[in-house]
Amino acid sequence: MEHLVRGVDHAAFPTFDPAATVRFYRDVLGFPVVHSICAAGWGREQHPDFIHFFFDIGGGDRIAFFYYFGLEPVHDQPQGDAYAGFGADVPGWFVDSRHLAVHVDSEEHLMEYRRRLDASDWPVEMQVQHETIESIYTHDPNGYMVEITRALRPVTPQEDLDAELTIEALVEVASGPEPTLGKLLTRKAELIVERAAAWEEGVRS
Amino acid sequence: MTTLYVLDVPENTAVPKVAAEDPAVTVDRVGPYFAISAPGTIVVDRRATGCRHAVWYSCVAGLGGARIIQHDKDALRVEPA
Repeated sequence: MEHLVRGVDHAAFPTFDPAATVRFYRDVLGFPVVHSICAAGWGREQHPDFIHFFFDIGGGDRIAFFYYFGLEPVHDQPQGDAYAGFGADVPGWFVDSRHLAVHVDSEEHLMEYRRRLDASDWPVEMQVQHETIESIYTHDPNGYMVEITRALRPVTPQEDLDAELTIEALVEVASGPEPTLGKLLTRKAELIVERAAAWEEGVRS
Repeated sequence: MTTLYVLDVPENTAVPKVAAEDPAVTVDRVGPYFAISAPGTIVVDRRATGCRHAVWYSCVAGLGGARIIQHDKDALRVEPA
């Protein structure tokens, strides 16, 4: 199937604090404001007056926010963000699993963003080396988790094969009763035996 | 036979190397994977591999006739299923 899409046009989120949002993205991170829409007079009951505004996150991609005048925050849960609240019993790692990651080209550039954030009201909360990337994290003024990341090395073709086999095993195991990682790894081993040797021959030929 | 599959990427290469220090363990290749096998239990010491945590906890690609009974900051222990 032909792959026709060309990356992120924009990802959009609501904000209840547009001033802090502009300080964070424009003034702290240095993401230019590139577009805004003033939507007025649509009737408060049906649709409040709002501003939709965009920041350039590089590569022609944008992050955008909606600010609705007069709309009070929609939840008072102890965890979560401007969009969604979560009770105290929901694990933090689950809450933070939804996040936006933007990437930079080098360690120097990652550290430049670390410096900018650490000097702001939103210092870096974590710096982590994963398998193939290194990331810094913070929460923006709206409670959204934001990650800035750099590649430690290019992803190899065998990692694409591995991902394909993982997802095939995942779809099978998650479609069945009581999915576990153990079941996935057992099914994936069968797929490795069936497919992986042939994959290497394909690369060599 | 207990078999542990590990993808051949630069971060993972110490895992089969450390596992192979046990004379009961053999390391073969299946395409881009290391197939680490033994008649019984396979134990890999994390510190000996030098793996970062994120690498260590994601190094297992597959389990043939095997189940993980320990995978923590100290060791990976795989025994016959």
